[in-house]
Amino acid sequence: MAITVLLFGPLAAAVGARSISVEGGTCGEVRAELAKNPALAPALKSARFAVNQAFVADSHPVAAGDEVAVISPVSGGCL
Amino acid sequence: MTTSVTARLHPGALPRGLTLAETPGCGAMVKFEGLVRPMEGGRAITGLAYEAYEPMAVKVLEQLGRVAIEKHAGVMQVEVHHSVGFVPNHGCSFTLLVAAAHRKEALAAADFFIDEMKREVPIWKEPVYADIQQ
Repeated sequence: MAITVLLFGPLAAAVGARSISVEGGTCGEVRAELAKNPALAPALKSARFAVNQAFVADSHPVAAGDEVAVISPVSGGCL
Repeated sequence: MTTSVTARLHPGALPRGLTLAETPGCGAMVKFEGLVRPMEGGRAITGLAYEAYEPMAVKVLEQLGRVAIEKHAGVMQVEVHHSVGFVPNHGCSFTLLVAAAHRKEALAAADFFIDEMKREVPIWKEPVYADIQQ
């Protein structure tokens, strides 16, 4: 299934885009596809997936209409 | 006991006068403000640029507020504000307000919330270096 994955922060900067389309049925499969992009591969190692705005494990299935995002390590606040 | 959680994102620096309305039974109100320092990794910056996965950031901030209340008996209110976009040096980009019956749980809940926020909330910051042409 074709999935549009939302990108933010360092990942978005790495590919110069706010989203990317890949094939996958689970977040793990999406991760494997994204990792084929050399610009994304290094930051993906420490990234987590969110489906419909909640963190999920890589085993989580992705359904048509789901909002999928890859979340690299966050850095809110000031310190 | 009635409790409440509020989470808001704001464009740019936050106002410095944020405070909570009077809460019956509140004996302690803790206010934390995170301020942008003018150096990052030994280099001068003009400020920090914040980016957020906004709908999820608000959801997670609200969830953390509810967890902070559950884990710290006596906490009545958690209100959090975070900047999105550019915040210049010395500006405030994060404000946390916690109201509780007593001091200990107010301080503990604030500390807990900030630790969790820095791990879980989808907000990223990038320094804007003073020595780079924008």
